[in-house]
Amino acid sequence: MTAEDTVAGVTARAVDGDGRISITLQVNGREQRIQVRPHHTLLEVLRNELGLTGPREGCGVGMCGACTVLVDGRPVSGCLLPAALAEGHELTTIEGLEGPNGELHPIQQAFVDHTGFQCSYCTPGFILTSKALLAEQPDASRDEARAYLAGNLCRCGSYVKILDSVMDAKERLKG
Amino acid sequence: MPEPLRLFQPTSIEEAVAVLAELGDDAKVVAGATALTLLYRQRLIAPGALVSIGRIPGLKTIEVVDGELRLGALVSHREVELSPVVRGSIPVVADAFGKVANVRVRNAATVGGVMAESDYASDPPAVFVALDAVVDVQGSNGKRSIPASEFFVAFYETALEHDEIVIGVRVPVPPAGTGAVYHKFVTRSSEDRPCVGVAGVVRLHADGTVADLRVAVGAAAETPQRFRDTEALAIGKPLDADLIAQVADAYADQVDTLDDMRGSAWYRTEMVRVWVRRAIESAAAAPAR
Repeated sequence: MTAEDTVAGVTARAVDGDGRISITLQVNGREQRIQVRPHHTLLEVLRNELGLTGPREGCGVGMCGACTVLVDGRPVSGCLLPAALAEGHELTTIEGLEGPNGELHPIQQAFVDHTGFQCSYCTPGFILTSKALLAEQPDASRDEARAYLAGNLCRCGSYVKILDSVMDAKERLKG
Repeated sequence: MPEPLRLFQPTSIEEAVAVLAELGDDAKVVAGATALTLLYRQRLIAPGALVSIGRIPGLKTIEVVDGELRLGALVSHREVELSPVVRGSIPVVADAFGKVANVRVRNAATVGGVMAESDYASDPPAVFVALDAVVDVQGSNGKRSIPASEFFVAFYETALEHDEIVIGVRVPVPPAGTGAVYHKFVTRSSEDRPCVGVAGVVRLHADGTVADLRVAVGAAAETPQRFRDTEALAIGKPLDADLIAQVADAYADQVDTLDDMRGSAWYRTEMVRVWVRRAIESAAAAPAR
C-alpha cells in the first residue's frame, strides 16, 4: 500500500503501510533495492537490511570513524547519513575491498602483516579512510596520514602499528 | 506508531520554499544531514517532514566575482578546505573549514548547513562574521541578503524565516596587505569543537598604524561576538603590545561567556583574552597576499 502525498506541487517519497520508502543503493558495485524509513541511517541499513557488518556503531555521533563508509570514494560517517540520501552514490564498505577470488586488498594485507589492530573494531574504518587518503595523496607522509586519520579512534591504542600499516600500504599500492 | 516521517526531494529552490511555506516548522531542511541526524537521533527535534535540497542544481559554486568569494549552500566543508579558488582568495576561510571535526564530517557537512544550524561551537561562523560576509537566502517573498553578524540570533536560531533557505554565502576579498587568521582552541581532543575560536583580520599602514582591525570570537557565547566600537579604537594607532592588550581586555570584558563541558565561563573569559591577543598578533604577521 502506498499513499500519494503532495505538498505545494512536490510529491513526497511514497511510503508503505509501515512508513517505509523504497530506495536503491549502489553498494560495493551491486544495486540493492530496499525499504527504509526516511530517518534510518546508512549504518543501520547496511548492517540490518544488507547484512554488511563491516561498518560498526562506535560513538554514534560522527567522532570515532567505526562506521566509515566511502561515498563516491570519500569517507563519511554512516551513522550521520540517512540511507535515503545515499541514493545515486557509489557506496563502498570493507566488504567491497577484496578481490574477485577473495584476496585481500593491499591495504588490508598491510594491516594484517603489521598487526595494525588489536580488537579490530575500528579496523574497517581505518582501512577505508586509508584507502581514501592514499587515493587523494598517493605520497602521503606519516604526518599527513596522521592528520587525515585523526578522526578515526582506536580505543586499544594501536596507532603506531596502524600508521606503520598505512605507510607500507602506500608502497604496496605504488607497486 | 507516530506519523511516518515524510521525505521531500525538490529539484528547485522555488519548490523547496513552497513546501516549507506550507508545512511550516514541521519541516526541516536537510543537506549533508550531519547536524540534522545528530539532533534527530538525540530526540532534540522531531520533524514530520524532511526537505532534502541535495537535488537542487546550482548550489555548488565556488567562485570569485566582483571582489567577493561566493560559496554555494551545497558546497561541502571539505570542498571549501581544498578549493584553490578559496585558498587563492581568502585562505583563512579554507583554513577554518579545514579545522571542523574530521574528514568524514567535512565531506558531508555543507556551507548552508553550518549557517542554518547556528551551533555556537561551529568554526566557520566567527570567520564569516569577522570578514563581513553576507548570507543570501531565498523564501516565498523572494531573495534577500543578511549580514553574517545579524544572521546568527541565538542558540540554534538564525534570522531565517521558516520558509527561507540559505542559498549561499558571499565574502568580500580583503584588500592586499590584509592578514587574516582563525585560531581554534580546543580543550579535550584535537578534533573536538572549540572551547574558544577567534578570527582576526588586520591591515597595517606602511608606518605600522592600524588601517583595519576586525575580531570575532566564536564558541564562547550564544553567537559569534564582534565589538565594532572596540575595533574602532585601534584604527590609526600603532599596533603595539599595549594596543593589542587593550583590545583583548575589552573583548574579555564584553563577551558574556558561557559554561559547558569544554570550559567554564571564567576560563573562557581568560581564553578570550589570550586568543584575541594571539589572533591579532598573528594576523598582523600573516604574509600579505
